[in-house]
Amino acid sequence: MLSYSSVHLASPFNHHQTILSSSPRRGLIPNDSSASFSYRPRPSPSLTSSLSPVAALPAGSSATTLVDEAEQEAAPSLPSPLKRELLPGHVAIIMDGNSRWARARGMPTSAGHEAGYQVLKKILELSYKWGIRTLTVFAFSAENWNRPKVEVDFLLMLFERVLKEGIEDFMRVGIRICLIGDSTELPESLQKLIKEVTEATKNNTKLDFIVAISYSGRRDITQACKSIAEKVKHGLIEPADITESLVAQELETNRIVELPYPDLLIRTSGELRLSNFLLWQSAYSELFFTDTRWPDFAEADYIEALTCYQSRQRRFGQRI
Amino acid sequence: MYLAHGITRALAPPVQKFQSSIILKWILGFCWYLLHLVVSLVDMVCFLNHLLLSSIISTGLLRKYQNLKLNNLNCLAIVVDSEEAEDITKTQKLLSWLSSIDVKCITLYDLQGVLKRTIGNDFKSMTNTSLRECKMSKMTVEILSLSDGKEGIAKAANFLISKYMKDDSLRCNGTKPTFSESQVSNALEAIGYKGPDPELLLVYGPARCHLGFPPWRLRYTEIIHMGSLRFMNYGSLARALYDFSKKNQNYGK
Repeated sequence: MLSYSSVHLASPFNHHQTILSSSPRRGLIPNDSSASFSYRPRPSPSLTSSLSPVAALPAGSSATTLVDEAEQEAAPSLPSPLKRELLPGHVAIIMDGNSRWARARGMPTSAGHEAGYQVLKKILELSYKWGIRTLTVFAFSAENWNRPKVEVDFLLMLFERVLKEGIEDFMRVGIRICLIGDSTELPESLQKLIKEVTEATKNNTKLDFIVAISYSGRRDITQACKSIAEKVKHGLIEPADITESLVAQELETNRIVELPYPDLLIRTSGELRLSNFLLWQSAYSELFFTDTRWPDFAEADYIEALTCYQSRQRRFGQRI
Repeated sequence: MYLAHGITRALAPPVQKFQSSIILKWILGFCWYLLHLVVSLVDMVCFLNHLLLSSIISTGLLRKYQNLKLNNLNCLAIVVDSEEAEDITKTQKLLSWLSSIDVKCITLYDLQGVLKRTIGNDFKSMTNTSLRECKMSKMTVEILSLSDGKEGIAKAANFLISKYMKDDSLRCNGTKPTFSESQVSNALEAIGYKGPDPELLLVYGPARCHLGFPPWRLRYTEIIHMGSLRFMNYGSLARALYDFSKKNQNYGK
């Protein structure tokens, strides 16, 4: 169902925008002092450069043509309801519903996970194209180890395949792969592959793609406490120095990416909970729950989530 | 004359093309706004439908929303936007509704501690209990703010690490710290920051986020955004609780 407060359609001719939403989003720094800025705006392409045909330019303006082409390449056009300056910097997704999708079609669970993988590739591509800086996906939770062994083994093989198949593309387009979660429980071959892929892509800067495998939000907080304890033991800090900021710094996401806090957290398949995902980091995340199952999550659904994010007035507890 | 005729013929097609492109543009623009109107109408109808249903539920005409079976709801949490929490009559009304529905345990939260200052002080003076928790005749109300969330975990970390350092110095064997989730939970309890994990969390405010509710407690909590507290109504509350009572969680299995 469309929310009345979030319907926002833009004219394709850029003449008139009709906004039925409430006050526009104000992106502010949350109260958590260790949180980074939620979004770094990119320069918007100029209207004339995106509309003027290259052939109509005079002969002596090759430099202008190259600049226009470079500008167009650097900032691809967004679908019409989306505004570049209001896009979230970090999107997190709980990819739920693969098994139910497969069951509804009389297919094995593995088919659902395969279909989910294809959707993940698409969403990663869109995030890259639209300039989302960080994308985090909840691929496998600590609780998922309780699933049937056949399904768990299939998922682990699928993760290996995803990394092997994707490494060339990641290198080509500049996507950095990071993994969070307890990797010690994973098969050795997968652990080795993860190390190789994260090492190979560590210098990429276009998009940080965080995959949460065997991840638990509570365990993330617990390991942060453990890291701090080791620092105290080595005399690097005093127990009295342990603050909320210090705990936040030791969380897995905070150690690997510039934008560790998701601005937008999407969960598919109609469930309305975090399921132990990014419990600390999601304090100020806009939560978007959709009934669509993950294998059916398409570009239009992603646009709807991003549009909903853009239309919210997020004050982070401050008065405006 | 031939020249004039030639010029006219050369110019005519661009002029005609220009006119037809303007007409096409107007047609497309009209279609666009018509589509926009249709979408807006559909959205408005859905909104009015939701409003109507909430009103009907409030009157008590729909039996399935009366006598809610809330066996799987041990604790309900409510997050309120701090600015909206200034109006304590709304929060008090919400508590009275929940009391009438027989909800036994409620955790109220707002980011800046407005509820602690207002409702918390009222409870304290009425029942002579702590600012954070109050046992009333039918239900327990716990009132939290940001300092009970992430700051509470930082204090628990301090407690845990101090205890580890003390035990480590007594053992003199320099073991590596190995903490478990249960140890963190116990530490939270020891310093008075442990509370029940709510099964359901209702968010009243403009933004759909939990605003720093104690993260340790949110593991499997259902989160429902109820809109602004200013426009709260009994029907929406009953509907949220009814939908929750029908939920089934797999817990990752």
